[in-house]
Amino acid sequence: MPRIGVYICHCGENIAGAVNVEEVRKYAENLPGVVVARNYLFMCSDPGQELIKQDIRNGLIDRVVVAACTPRTHEPIFRKTVEDGGLNKYLLEMANIRDQDSWPHWHDKEGATEKAKKLVASAVAKAAFLEPLEDRFVEVTRASLVVGGGVAGMFAALDLANMGYKVYLVEKSPSLGGNMAKLDKTFPTNDCSACILTPIMVQVGTHPNIELLTYSEVESVEGSIGNFKVKVRKKQTYIDWDKCTGCGDCVNACPAKVPNEFNEGMDNRKAIYIEFPQAVPKRAVVDIEHCLSCAKRTIGTQPRIHSKTGEPILAPCEKACKTGACDRSREYNPEGEIVELNVGTIIVATGYKVMDKAPFKEYSPQSPNVITAMQLERILSATGPTEGHFHRPSDGEKPETIAFISCVGSRDKRYHTYCSKVCCMYMLKEARLIKEKYPETNIYIFFIDVRTGGKDFEEYYNYCRNLGIKMLRGRVGAVDELPGDRLRVRAYDVDLGAPVELEADLVVLATAIEPAPDLDELGRKLGITCGSEGFLKEMHTKLYPVETPVKGIYIAGCAQGPKDIPESVSQARAASSAAAVPLTLGKVIVEPLISEVNQRKCTGCGTCVQLCPYSAISLVEDKGRSRSKIDEAMCAGCGVCAAACPSGVITLHGFTNAQIHAQIKALAC
Amino acid sequence: MSSEQAARGVINLSESDSSLVNEIKELGGEELMECIQCAKCAAACPMVLAGFPFFNKRIIQAIFLGLRDALLDDSSIWACQSCNRCTEVCPREVNPFEIIQAMRRVAIREFALPTLSIEGLKSLYDTGHAVYLAGAGNTRVKVGLPEKPPSTVANPDALKELQAVIRKTALADLGIIPMDEPGV
Amino acid sequence: MKVGFFVGCNTAFNRPDLEQAVRYAFPALGIELDNLEGQSCCPSWGTMPSVDVVGWCAVGARNHTIAEEKGLDIVTVCGSCYGSLAESKYKMDTHPEIKAQVNEILKDIGREYKGTSNVRLTFYYLYHELGPDKIKEAVKHKLDGLTVALQPGCHTLWPSKVYYDKEEDTFHPRVLKEMCEALGATVGHYTRLIDCCGMGAMRSTDMEKSFKLVEKKLISMKNEVNPDLIITGCSSCLIQLDTAQDLLRSSKKINFEIPVLHFMQVLALCLGADPERVTGLAKTDVSRVVNRILEG
Ligand SMILES: Cc1cc2nc3c(=O)[nH]c(=O)nc-3n(C[C@H](O)[C@H](O)[C@H](O)COP(=O)(O)OP(=O)(O)OC[C@H]3O[C@@H](n4cnc5c(N)ncnc54)[C@H](O)[C@@H]3O)c2cc1C
Ligand code: SF4
Ligand code: SF4
Ligand code: SF4
Ligand code: SF4
Repeated sequence: MPRIGVYICHCGENIAGAVNVEEVRKYAENLPGVVVARNYLFMCSDPGQELIKQDIRNGLIDRVVVAACTPRTHEPIFRKTVEDGGLNKYLLEMANIRDQDSWPHWHDKEGATEKAKKLVASAVAKAAFLEPLEDRFVEVTRASLVVGGGVAGMFAALDLANMGYKVYLVEKSPSLGGNMAKLDKTFPTNDCSACILTPIMVQVGTHPNIELLTYSEVESVEGSIGNFKVKVRKKQTYIDWDKCTGCGDCVNACPAKVPNEFNEGMDNRKAIYIEFPQAVPKRAVVDIEHCLSCAKRTIGTQPRIHSKTGEPILAPCEKACKTGACDRSREYNPEGEIVELNVGTIIVATGYKVMDKAPFKEYSPQSPNVITAMQLERILSATGPTEGHFHRPSDGEKPETIAFISCVGSRDKRYHTYCSKVCCMYMLKEARLIKEKYPETNIYIFFIDVRTGGKDFEEYYNYCRNLGIKMLRGRVGAVDELPGDRLRVRAYDVDLGAPVELEADLVVLATAIEPAPDLDELGRKLGITCGSEGFLKEMHTKLYPVETPVKGIYIAGCAQGPKDIPESVSQARAASSAAAVPLTLGKVIVEPLISEVNQRKCTGCGTCVQLCPYSAISLVEDKGRSRSKIDEAMCAGCGVCAAACPSGVITLHGFTNAQIHAQIKALAC
Repeated sequence: MSSEQAARGVINLSESDSSLVNEIKELGGEELMECIQCAKCAAACPMVLAGFPFFNKRIIQAIFLGLRDALLDDSSIWACQSCNRCTEVCPREVNPFEIIQAMRRVAIREFALPTLSIEGLKSLYDTGHAVYLAGAGNTRVKVGLPEKPPSTVANPDALKELQAVIRKTALADLGIIPMDEPGV
Repeated sequence: MKVGFFVGCNTAFNRPDLEQAVRYAFPALGIELDNLEGQSCCPSWGTMPSVDVVGWCAVGARNHTIAEEKGLDIVTVCGSCYGSLAESKYKMDTHPEIKAQVNEILKDIGREYKGTSNVRLTFYYLYHELGPDKIKEAVKHKLDGLTVALQPGCHTLWPSKVYYDKEEDTFHPRVLKEMCEALGATVGHYTRLIDCCGMGAMRSTDMEKSFKLVEKKLISMKNEVNPDLIITGCSSCLIQLDTAQDLLRSSKKINFEIPVLHFMQVLALCLGADPERVTGLAKTDVSRVVNRILEG
């Protein structure tokens, strides 16, 4: 007969505020198998844990039920308590009477107390059937994968590489850099983005421990912490990167014009292109969709021979290339190449994209002089479409009056309900950069709330106001096109209590920060989820901000939510240190809460094989018969097989049929 | 600031009526609480441009603060054009127009409605038309039309039907207009 | 082709010449009009909609069912009717509980709202069902050489979610423009195009304030287009722009007069209608522009 101890926590007022703890304790005392029931203000505190340990040491109990908060944060603590007391740590069961009871039923004290009794009774019923289990350890592959080569991904990769671990950095564009590479200067210190980013890009590109896989994407992920098997698809660049020197001769020769993504569509690039001047790696790629296949040089064909000269007829790009990197006779392979990687941990840092202006019809997006803030960054940048000259797009005139509109697509139920967090600051920054260079410019920022929480940010804001940048509280409701390429901005100034109109030469929309395209698909491949706003969800907002529910997978930067560069970098460095822990330990504990087949009784029907989401089950020959076998390292303990086995011969340890049935029975009475 | 507003002087928030919010939500302004007072709806609202002291954004704020009397003492809510430009631009899908309609519904329940509305309702009940010009028959004939349009005014059974419908609506319980006499 | 004609109050009693224009133009284009016998007020905003959602929808639904029983769409010339009818339909179609309450009320008069008829506005209806090219072919007279300024009207645009016929971009509407261009007009753009004219509840509440809007609108038209004619898409806008000019002139707010007609009046003229019948009640002097149309 098991001897069960029940320990009920008040969690300060968190539980005791809704649940009559003493009543639950008395009730528990009389449950079958219970030899002692105690309550305490904070069960997880030292004295609280001591209560449990003492009862074990005194030989009073051999099973422990803790009725408290969530096992997500507290199960490890109480397992250790049980182990320190001298019991197998799996002889513990938790009843979550806080998250699942006192919090949601805060206004129904009686009901909450009754529910607590049920939860405790079911935990006690299960505890009677608990059995000791032993942890397993698996060896860790001492390498990491970082997905996304923006500022966050680069810092995460560098930190791990500097600790001596092998890092694979997968970036889907041809070059590293991400969005920061597009920015002109960066708040709060206004240093030039390229100046601070380029050295980092070079370090990443040349680090002996970092293997760069740009123009590549994650195809599939298998395995678990310590041993992930990742397939990466390297898209075909149609250029031999080993030979390419990034001289750009091919680019100059190419006649095809394609809207330039790097300059936010404000000018054209070529079909063969190098993403931007500071690109790392600085290599050319052919955008095959827009390639004209000049001289009928379709990729993968042999050149025709000139009837008079007898020379092969080449495309301009090939002709221009002095290194032989650009050779259109190479095989056409749009599928690219699959690379297989083995890594112990993964960091996802896929960043964000900015919203386009097109949906905001009330702001006359059809006007070339209505631009997004990211477009303005490119206009201000020396490597942008105007080479840093401050011109309005319609006619190249210098804008005299500029209106900024905040929260475009943010805090907006039709697009994104969240605040994009960085827009207030980058609007101030862009306004300031313009005002400092061209003090005669009139700048108005229309906002809803100015949010400048952050180190030195409020000072920055005040500095901008001192420069004469005018701030108006009131979201713009209309932008009308006027003759002469001008725009009329209409708003209601809340502080004046009056409608206002402004004639401007340039209207800048602070469009929202959105998750990178296909982030949810990448999430699915990794087994991690996106929140309702579409960004990757962390394990715990406060305590485990870079962890995900999948052990060994971490997140950083804007992939987790809108943030600025300082925050992205801090988070990246936090993720890299978290991702280094298993690599440093060299092995990870795998909980024994996995399934096991009683092979003797297995009929070999194969039902489980089909169902296992982790492909952990296979059929093996055993004495001429087919039987199911579960790979311990691959089983995630989801329990699908155990539930489905028609012969009932699969046991999910920690959740056996006997345990679950007892639990349900206790709930039902 | 308008003169009306200046005349109101200090608004005493302690005298606010916190039940107003729920009343508005029940009377059709379900999305009220979504409003973040961004003022986008006010940017091109005809009421703002014409200079009415209360308009979409400010009406909503007054509702948030429970300023029932301030709203009822002012004619602004009756000046809303129902143009719905606010609804079209509101980033929070508040339907500010519908909030103003809901405020009118509150006002009507306290008999705080303009004479024109009472006349409109009476005319609707008596003739089937909110706007009905008794002398219009001649003008109609002048442009070659029958004296009466093919509506309830030319069709007593249809009018009875309409009146039966109206008698089953909330208007009947409010007793704002007499409802027993047959129309036209 | 057949459609139910919803006349509404202002058109029937204030501007029956506009009603006559519709009754002329539709058949001339081969579209039969049904009278929707027994129709009532839409109901207008200051009445049932200001009392109660279900009451508003019930009065609206009675009108809808008249068209539903005949299997016809409803077409109207008035922006207010268009808005009120479309909104009551939208409310009932998206809120089953409102629809159920309304049908409970309608049961007593033997009617049931189903939601099978669409609410259309004349110029959108013609644009989508016939298209500008067919209209161009059908007309006898053209607006060649005439410069016009448009007043599409708020209700013809917003809230776009309730309407069956939608502009691609409700802040830069194109349909009325294309229709007028099909008639040969030169349509000038002015920057207050989509601003409210001030007609409606506002005019009833405070005429002086409401006139600020129409004044601003007229001046923007005059300065930016200097039109020979204003063409509206809504009967309420027609009344405001047509009647306000005289008063604005006498208070020295403006010093010009621009003739104003509804699109359906212009179309009827182009199709050969008797000008007295279809434009006879205009307060602005439309005779010169009407003559030019008849010559064109
Ligand atoms: C207009 C504007 C101005 C700004 N100005 C400032 C400023 O002055 N100061 C400041 O601190 N912050 C500023 N920010 C914010 C700053 O841009 C971000 O904080 C920073 O770029 C976030 O870095 P990241 O690495 O998380 O994301 P990103 O820079 O977006 O990098 C993500 C990378 O991942 C890649 N990627 C995406 N999906 C995949 C995939 N599936 N597989 C592989 N790779 C993928 C992308 O190609 C990209 O290279 C500004 C933002 C905007 C919009
Ligand atoms: S010309 Fe050749 S070497 Fe130069 S960038 Fe192009 S492919 Fe590379
Ligand atoms: S063939 Fe070469 S030069 Fe021609 S479009 Fe393609 S990349 Fe450019
Ligand atoms: S109703 Fe909408 S537009 Fe108006 S203030 Fe509220 S959130 Fe802004
Ligand atoms: S519907 Fe009323 S509140 Fe909304 S913009 Fe029009 S007049 Fe203003």
